[in-house]
Amino acid sequence: MLFVQLLLGGVQNGALYALTAAGFALIFGATKVFHVAHGSAFTLAGYVFLYGWTHNWNSLLSSLAAVAVAVAFGVGMERLVYRPIQRHEGSFFTVFVAAFGVSIVVQNLVGVFAGRGFASIDTPLSNASEVLPELFLADVFWVAILVALVMFVALTLFLSRTNAGVALRALAQNPDLLRAYGLSSSRLSMLAFALGSALVAPAAILTAMTTGLNEAVGNHVMLLSMASTIVGGVGSLRGAALAGLLLGVAESVVLVFLETQWASAASFLVLFGFILFKPSGMFGAAVAK
Amino acid sequence: MTGAKAEPSSPAANPQDLSAGANPQGSSAAANPQDAAAAPALALEATGLAAGYGGREVLQDVSLTLAPGEGLCLIGHNGAGKSTLLRVLFGLHRPAAGEIKVFGRKLAAHTPAALGAAGVALVPEGRGVFPDLTVLEIFGLALWSAGVPKGERAARIDDVLELLPRIKEFTKRTAGTLSGGQQQMVSIARALLTRPKVLLLDEPSIGLAPKLFQDLIEPIARLRAERGVAILLVEQNVREAFAVSDRVIVMRSGQMIFEGAPAELSDHTKLMELF
Repeated sequence: MLFVQLLLGGVQNGALYALTAAGFALIFGATKVFHVAHGSAFTLAGYVFLYGWTHNWNSLLSSLAAVAVAVAFGVGMERLVYRPIQRHEGSFFTVFVAAFGVSIVVQNLVGVFAGRGFASIDTPLSNASEVLPELFLADVFWVAILVALVMFVALTLFLSRTNAGVALRALAQNPDLLRAYGLSSSRLSMLAFALGSALVAPAAILTAMTTGLNEAVGNHVMLLSMASTIVGGVGSLRGAALAGLLLGVAESVVLVFLETQWASAASFLVLFGFILFKPSGMFGAAVAK
Repeated sequence: MTGAKAEPSSPAANPQDLSAGANPQGSSAAANPQDAAAAPALALEATGLAAGYGGREVLQDVSLTLAPGEGLCLIGHNGAGKSTLLRVLFGLHRPAAGEIKVFGRKLAAHTPAALGAAGVALVPEGRGVFPDLTVLEIFGLALWSAGVPKGERAARIDDVLELLPRIKEFTKRTAGTLSGGQQQMVSIARALLTRPKVLLLDEPSIGLAPKLFQDLIEPIARLRAERGVAILLVEQNVREAFAVSDRVIVMRSGQMIFEGAPAELSDHTKLMELF
């Protein structure tokens, strides 16, 4: 039963990883910006929700504030950090270092204002009950699965059925050509950042209700998002989401055999496995040598 | 996400009104493009254009006019500046100097969106399609970016499919799975969906067999004759291009070195001299 318990826990975490990974993959796929500060949007959204909850805000208001902060952070990064670098034809490395710097600043600011160490909230959704002998499950498990599914389906429909969504797919393929169509690639980039960042908010809120947050939680989220993008296949949202789920399960199930501190290593073992044996990932195009 | 859509910025020009500035005879305006007293405002008028990349000068003091309904062919060897000129005319590349007027008016912002609203469309060099989008998605994107009302979009597509009926066979396929000729057809159809009054084509024959190119040129010639669309065609395939042109400009090293009627270049020796 321990295995099933860990498996279900992994599915719950994996559903949240799937959301953050899909957000990262959406941003990277559409704009080709390696948004290393994606995890900071997660941290900020989680702590804003915590702040609202502990200050007796309505839970809907707290959630909306979390989404708004994540979106504002993502759009702000695109406008104030990435775009100026791109305007001056900065390299991939410049973008990486700038984003990494911002994420360190965010981590420290959160530590200063919200305090260091773990913080979590106890909601009715967080309380586990025994559903089968020795098998405990909280309502948040179902909420996480449902939210991830709804968000992913909504995102897929948006990208396939709306003009703005189709334009985002076009942006991923050829931003120069998009200009010949009379569309603004910079506005579409902003949309990609807004949507991709919004996807981390539900995951951050649900994490605050379960395992809790600390000021460095964004680093883990970021690494998992990057790993999921590679494992899923660069350019594939479906791949990133499935890979997020897979890594969540791997992190949890490995605890059957190993100590807790090896959980994160499991994700990276999966990543290395893919890099060695299937570098194009689950759904990515073949990688040129 | 309406923020990404093109902002209509030209109240004077209505891209849906094909008769505005159009010439039912197709080429009479072209026959006497200098006859400014009788003709409506020039569809395009560029004066003293200079442009380059980095420190490299690609266009030097280029001036040209394009009358409504006229067919103008731009030829020259590789690197002559033809494609750069089209990119400048369509607002994809900022000129270092010069002025461009569209239907007698200098646009407040010379951007592709503003030009689209003013009735100018570009068929870019290469295949102007997104390989992972279906043909219908590409058409939808073009109509959306041009701000065409939803209720009018199906009629626009039908209209273009009437002109290029072979596209009906593959509207649901992704562009990346189409042949070069089919992709070029889709690219031209995409530009026509906006019902342009000026169509800029950048080497549509690249990578196509001569017969395929003829098949593409034929509807363009028809469009000009029937709807008075002005055509500015950058082309290497001189014989077919001349068939739809009233006037030819030859470019070399970023400058115009010849301007005249295609008949003046019918002597092969003269053409070779210019190249």
